[in-house]
Amino acid sequence: MADGALLRGTGIGKRYGGVTALDGVDVEVRAGEVLGLIGPNGAGKTTLMDVVSGAQDLDAGTLTLAGRPLAGAPWRRARLGLARTFQHPQLASELTVAENVLTGRLAARHSSVRGMAASMLRGLLSTATGRDECARLAADMGLDDPGRLAGELTLGEKRVLEVVRALAQDPQVMLLDEPFAGADATGIAAIMEAIRTVRRRGHGVVLIDHSVDLVASLAERVVLLDSGRVVFEGTPEECLASSEMRAVYFGGGYDRT
Amino acid sequence: MTDLQIWVSVLEMGCFYGLIALGYLLVLQGAGFFNFALGPYATVAGMTTAWLVAEHEVPLWPAAFLGLAAVVALSVLTELVVVRRVQSRSSGSELPALVAIAAVLFMIEQSAGLAFGHQPLAGQSLLRTAPLEFGGVVVQPYAVLLIGVTVLVFAATALWIRYGRSGRLLRAVGDGEATARLLGLPVARVRLLAFAVSGVVAGVAGLLFAPKAGLQFDSGLGWTLNGFLALVVGGTRTVWGPLAGGLLLGAVQMFVPYYLGSEFVSYVVLGVALVFFAFRPEGIFVWRVRT
Amino acid sequence: MTVDRTRPAGALRRPPTAEAEAETEAGARAGAGRPAVGLPRAADRWPPLLGAAGLALVAAWAGGSAYHQDLAVLFAVYALIGLGMYVPFVMAGSLSMAYGAYAGIGAYAVLVAQVKLDAPFWLGWPAGCAVAVAVAVLLGLATARLSGFFLAAVTLLFGTAFQRWLVASEDLTGGASGMAAGAGPAVLGWHPGRGVLMAAGLLLVWAVAWLVDRLRRGAWGVTVRAAREVPLAVESCGVRTRALDLLALATGAAIASMGGALFATFQAGVTPETFTLDIVFLAVFMPLIGGLGTSWGAVVGALVVVETTVNLPVLDDSGKLVLTAVVLAVLLVAPNGLLGYLDRTRRRFAPGAVRGGRDGARG
Repeated sequence: MADGALLRGTGIGKRYGGVTALDGVDVEVRAGEVLGLIGPNGAGKTTLMDVVSGAQDLDAGTLTLAGRPLAGAPWRRARLGLARTFQHPQLASELTVAENVLTGRLAARHSSVRGMAASMLRGLLSTATGRDECARLAADMGLDDPGRLAGELTLGEKRVLEVVRALAQDPQVMLLDEPFAGADATGIAAIMEAIRTVRRRGHGVVLIDHSVDLVASLAERVVLLDSGRVVFEGTPEECLASSEMRAVYFGGGYDRT
Repeated sequence: MTDLQIWVSVLEMGCFYGLIALGYLLVLQGAGFFNFALGPYATVAGMTTAWLVAEHEVPLWPAAFLGLAAVVALSVLTELVVVRRVQSRSSGSELPALVAIAAVLFMIEQSAGLAFGHQPLAGQSLLRTAPLEFGGVVVQPYAVLLIGVTVLVFAATALWIRYGRSGRLLRAVGDGEATARLLGLPVARVRLLAFAVSGVVAGVAGLLFAPKAGLQFDSGLGWTLNGFLALVVGGTRTVWGPLAGGLLLGAVQMFVPYYLGSEFVSYVVLGVALVFFAFRPEGIFVWRVRT
Repeated sequence: MTVDRTRPAGALRRPPTAEAEAETEAGARAGAGRPAVGLPRAADRWPPLLGAAGLALVAAWAGGSAYHQDLAVLFAVYALIGLGMYVPFVMAGSLSMAYGAYAGIGAYAVLVAQVKLDAPFWLGWPAGCAVAVAVAVLLGLATARLSGFFLAAVTLLFGTAFQRWLVASEDLTGGASGMAAGAGPAVLGWHPGRGVLMAAGLLLVWAVAWLVDRLRRGAWGVTVRAAREVPLAVESCGVRTRALDLLALATGAAIASMGGALFATFQAGVTPETFTLDIVFLAVFMPLIGGLGTSWGAVVGALVVVETTVNLPVLDDSGKLVLTAVVLAVLLVAPNGLLGYLDRTRRRFAPGAVRGGRDGARG
């Protein structure tokens, strides 16, 4: 699709007991677009990502992906074309780099009982597991030793590995939660290249990060969240120049026009 | 159902399971852990006392005291040597702790079998008075002691948790261990206290119940499971929850054989477990993240 | 960690579809200078060969002595129960204590077929597996979202209830005295001798251990092991983790029931006391003793268990106690470490993946 929303959320609301984490949030990602999601701590960025990916249920609003309703368990949404990384890297530390990528790449096989049974049979009959292809994917992003255990990687390498795993799913929309935090220069370069590649393929990316500069350099559009509400939406330049941005990050009120 | 004598038995069993379940509750609050070794603790207390009295002619009350002391030592050792270490090393996953406590359970059972033999031992009643009789119902002296002590223990625990300094600490740690640590509360001591007190409770339960059930080196496993179930059924909201759960289980144990047949007890217990575990998970299943 | 700057910007290739994977592997093989991917690597060959050698030794030791043959079969039965435990426990991280019951189901199925249904003994094998799988799935569904303690407790209660049921159902199971088949197993009129049955049992252990090891290293096994550590992340990739766990439970139950069927076939008899809860605890300890990084660890553990609890006169009755103490010591010294340590050691000898940087092909 050249235009039209790939991922759309309307009126999303989420409460935890008495606390409103998200309130009336509208969000839209178009094909071939990177959407930046910025805001201070506690603004609800990760909560929004959790609600979109299915890690949490939403209390109000609707979600669609490529026109189809986005609902159900996380695995269902992943099958529809969603992939994500986590604020704290969620990797199997006792498995190797290649094996962690494998979980993502071959996830499609393991989304049904029949597929799993077939996968088990395959494992019994042949020793070829596709680790080599996964090793190549990892090496493309700079992780040279695919036999290393994920638990032994540095934080930056773990972030890169999470992105590789997400990429390996060939998703329609990739959700990245602070992928640059703790990464070194080469890791950042690799992840930025990955984001550009996804965009080139005509897919979408939602990018959360505290580094406003990085987000601004990658994103076509930026959404500013504060206390669970969308406070500003526009191009990075517009957002950085806006009064809302100043207010949210430097205190004071802002125009709600 | 109208036979009051059976209800006396229900009370006896209910109090026993309730006490074990109380032990579970205390360790759950203090250390976020299900101490599956509680059943064998009860067995050891009862068997040590019975063996000392029967084989070595130790007077009753000193033997009982020694039995309790042995169990408290076991309980404290469990925390110091096993649980604390395994829990701190395996952040997030509870499997190592579960396997470790299963090993402890098995070890205590086997040790009891070696020390006391595989033959059943008769429990020693701590009260040697005449049985109470009223309305056609006979209440044995051990039962009077068991029921009376149970009520006392529960009441004392309820007061202690609410008003006692260390009791309130226990509750604070139970609400969130990481936070408690940050606040500078003596978490390690609270854990030890929880294990020690639960050891006393389980030991008392074993001692008082022994005259009814008799003692065998491997009765611990069944007691562990039933006590755990009593906790889940009764809930952890209030200190009296375990007693309620214990009484329900006691009723099942006494009435099911009467109406359905003796083997049906284990089926019904399994059924109760499945139902409660599957449909009443709230309150207990919130597994606190250990940092 | 370096980014290969000699590659053009579009270096990130779209991952091939699953169907194309085979072609890629073949292409890799054909490519110059690449290690052959499809052939068994050294590490794949050693454990099964060593295992075969070990089992052949056991068979030779058993020789013609009936008592030794009994022990060898007991070892095989324990090994199968331990292997049954391996998939859900070690791989999926879910501790079910129903393995005595699954073995019992397998054993009674064989005898019920022979004695009650006048059917050939080998029908009992798949029937037992089917029943054990059904039970495991039901138990798994009922305890799906619960922590390990609850699964352990429920499965222990199930084991107790199953034993009571065996004693109570005299018509079907022969009650407390169990069942005995008049004659040994027969296949089309041929009555295999005890030596043959023992050898077949040991062969079965070898085959199952080898298959479980392959399962572990295949894509499904890797996914199961990943789901054990980071279930949410794996599910967010598109994996149905609940079905994954149930499949692991079912596999374990089927294997354990084969252990029971082996016992019943060899001994031509079973009682409710045959598969006690003690065996379940010992089965938990087997992979811990023998090593968690490979399914052969469960086999080694079974050997150690049978040696110490049944065979060594010096330990006599205290064999189980000594064993448990050793297991506890191991758990305390390195509970997670043992798993990782063994796996890491194995990995150093097992080039299971392309090592780009190390071999100097890249920067």
